[in-house]
Amino acid sequence: MTIRFLLSAALATSLAAQVKYEDLLKGPGDNWITYSGDYQGKRHSPLKQITAANAGNLVAQWTYHVPKASGLRTNPLVYNGVMYVTNTNEVRALDARTGRLVWEYKDTRSKKEAVNRGVALLGDRVFFVTGDVHLVALDRRNGALLWQKQYGRVEDGLYGSMAPMVVKDKVLVGVSGGDSGMRGYVAAYQAATGEEAWRIYTVPAKGEKGSESWGNFVEYGGAATWLSGTYDPELNTIYWTTGNPWPDFYGGDRKGDNLFSCSLLAIDADTGKMKWYFQFTPHDTHDWDAQAWPVLVDLPFNGKPRKLVLHANRNGFLYVLDRVTGEFLRATKIIDKLDWATGIDPKGRPILVPGKDPTPNGNRVCPGVRGATNWMAPSFNPATGLFHVITLEQCDVFTSSAKEPEPKKNFSGGGASPKPTELGQFFLRAFDPTTGKRVWEYPMTGPAEMWAGTVSTAGGVVFFGDDDGHLVAVDSKTGKHLWHFQMGEGITASPITYAIDGKQYVAIASATAIYSFALFEPSR
Amino acid sequence: MRRSLAALLCFAAVPLAAQHDASKEGKPKNPAMGNPTAIASGQKLFVNSCAGCHGVKAEGGRGPNLRKRGVWHPLEDDALFTIIRKGIPGADMPASNFNEEQAWQVAAFVRALASPAIENPPPGNVQAGETTFWGKGGCSNCHRILGRGGMLGPDLSNAGATLAAEDLRESIVDPDADGFLRYKGATVVLANGTTLKGVARNRTNYSMQLQDAQGNLHMVDLSKAKQVDISDHSPMPRNYAQRLSKQEIDDLVAFLSRQSVRPFEPAEKK
Repeated sequence: MTIRFLLSAALATSLAAQVKYEDLLKGPGDNWITYSGDYQGKRHSPLKQITAANAGNLVAQWTYHVPKASGLRTNPLVYNGVMYVTNTNEVRALDARTGRLVWEYKDTRSKKEAVNRGVALLGDRVFFVTGDVHLVALDRRNGALLWQKQYGRVEDGLYGSMAPMVVKDKVLVGVSGGDSGMRGYVAAYQAATGEEAWRIYTVPAKGEKGSESWGNFVEYGGAATWLSGTYDPELNTIYWTTGNPWPDFYGGDRKGDNLFSCSLLAIDADTGKMKWYFQFTPHDTHDWDAQAWPVLVDLPFNGKPRKLVLHANRNGFLYVLDRVTGEFLRATKIIDKLDWATGIDPKGRPILVPGKDPTPNGNRVCPGVRGATNWMAPSFNPATGLFHVITLEQCDVFTSSAKEPEPKKNFSGGGASPKPTELGQFFLRAFDPTTGKRVWEYPMTGPAEMWAGTVSTAGGVVFFGDDDGHLVAVDSKTGKHLWHFQMGEGITASPITYAIDGKQYVAIASATAIYSFALFEPSR
Repeated sequence: MRRSLAALLCFAAVPLAAQHDASKEGKPKNPAMGNPTAIASGQKLFVNSCAGCHGVKAEGGRGPNLRKRGVWHPLEDDALFTIIRKGIPGADMPASNFNEEQAWQVAAFVRALASPAIENPPPGNVQAGETTFWGKGGCSNCHRILGRGGMLGPDLSNAGATLAAEDLRESIVDPDADGFLRYKGATVVLANGTTLKGVARNRTNYSMQLQDAQGNLHMVDLSKAKQVDISDHSPMPRNYAQRLSKQEIDDLVAFLSRQSVRPFEPAEKK
């Protein structure tokens, strides 16, 4: 090793493999290069080394403890044997075969610490957001900083926690903070330069269409864009869900539907213009953000093939919409304990049960504040046609506050918690989206505190984190238990799967560490 | 309500103000803080009066290492000033003969020793340093700033915001001083005859995470390696003290000290 060698070699042209837009279009294979694996949000991998027959032979391959982590939300991405994970204001690249650290990037001067859900990849770049709402581009190979762009202000009640989403040559970001009085938006930045391409607000400005649905509070309406979206390249449409209106639990000052909160927005990928919207919970007073990923599937509906979008909502219903037009097609219950609506009418509006708003003395409503499901990632297996959703059977006592709303100060207009004698229970449930019927379910034990999601594989296995801190494998067809591993702490992230040199791995973040699993190899 | 609160605050500030000839706002201020000339004066005073115990580079000796933050970092400027002037009764730290201005200068120097360089930018010609970085120094063959430059060395886009000026200087003139464990030169010959060369970003007996000069990452299973050579050094040249003049190194440190992705906000504004 000589210095001369290094210096001359450093000038040579880089021929490194790059993450191309076409790779993102293809979806997962050996690599897992977007949050949900593919643009449709299916979280389904074609890998099938691990099957329902052999999943019982899974063993831990490595653990990486993320320094100072607690409650990790990171969804790992893997490209060419390197895994990218995040923590608050930090990104790390790990050897995905051994768990060894390759590089780390820390933004030590961020003004806000917040959970982080992961990175996005394009070309030689890794993108992530800081707690204080900066979009950061790093070199994927060594973590070197390329550019950093502030896209919102902590002073405006915003923070950053989502995993960015790459569409063509742009990086899309959303904003968190919808429970304390802010104005949500999705913004797109040029991946190469960080220049803003477009921005769409989820709450109209005063005088704009939809602002009449707000009363006085449109300025701080909320409708945060907590998570990433999904994308249909043929329709050139991005699908993005929006959060609750603010104040969360008191709607007296925001009379009306509060557009476009608790909604699904269909957005033109090039211009950022809204094509259509569908609001799941008009005038929400239970903090039932539209959270889970809108999953794009092509399935027959009433005998005719249709382009659909599936969305399991916090309000307790699984929605099926036409993703070309936004037309409401069907909504079915995903939980048994649901008492705020008797159903959804033919136009998609809930048929309300009177007297279910929060009250100063408390009002028991089902589902509870965390919803029938939340941002725990769902998955869809095209082979079985089943949609896997983490569901929570829980009722909460919702209270509203008579206090004057104060924007940007963590004021939410009330609160909600379960009765101590009536704690919730989690289930992994598989639904048939063509009928809305529940096909199987896997009940969990535990304190009803987890936030873990799912991943589906062509090997016929669904992996998910359970409410007791296990990574669990169940049979895709039946929901039957195949394998579990106790991770020693609660799980607040979703698993992924990838392969290196023909060996399939399953990885997930626990509260403080990244774990990877593969089949036991007796010959080693 | 507000007025009475303000009055209370003023009252509370009086004893501090009396102590240190503080500014009229009622807060003790170090007039030397962030002032390159004053810090340089503080350094001279330090070398003459403090280095006997703390070391010429404040690396420690009979007295503690002042570049490691743990020892004194929790101290407010105010307390640092008092210790420099009056010593620590009952310990080996004696009182000094510094006047107030001198004591502030030494305090500013000590503070700068372990603070990000951007907070106390050292003297030097920034533009000349920039020219050296991209030219004669050859720094950009291995180091990057905002995407421009080489791949093998640490990224310096945020160098001023993450490293103290003295650490930057030491990295240039004595690159092996802190070990640079993540940047050891490495050559691996695989069982199939392929040779990989670059730096080991990490390694164990079983695997190596090697970055080649083109920037490609190689996750090497060492059970499949025929030969592994690890250099005792980082690939950083060890002769900059000879290749560059003292002024050129000062300029380079001054340039690197200004590399901060986020604008520096003085403490009073935070």
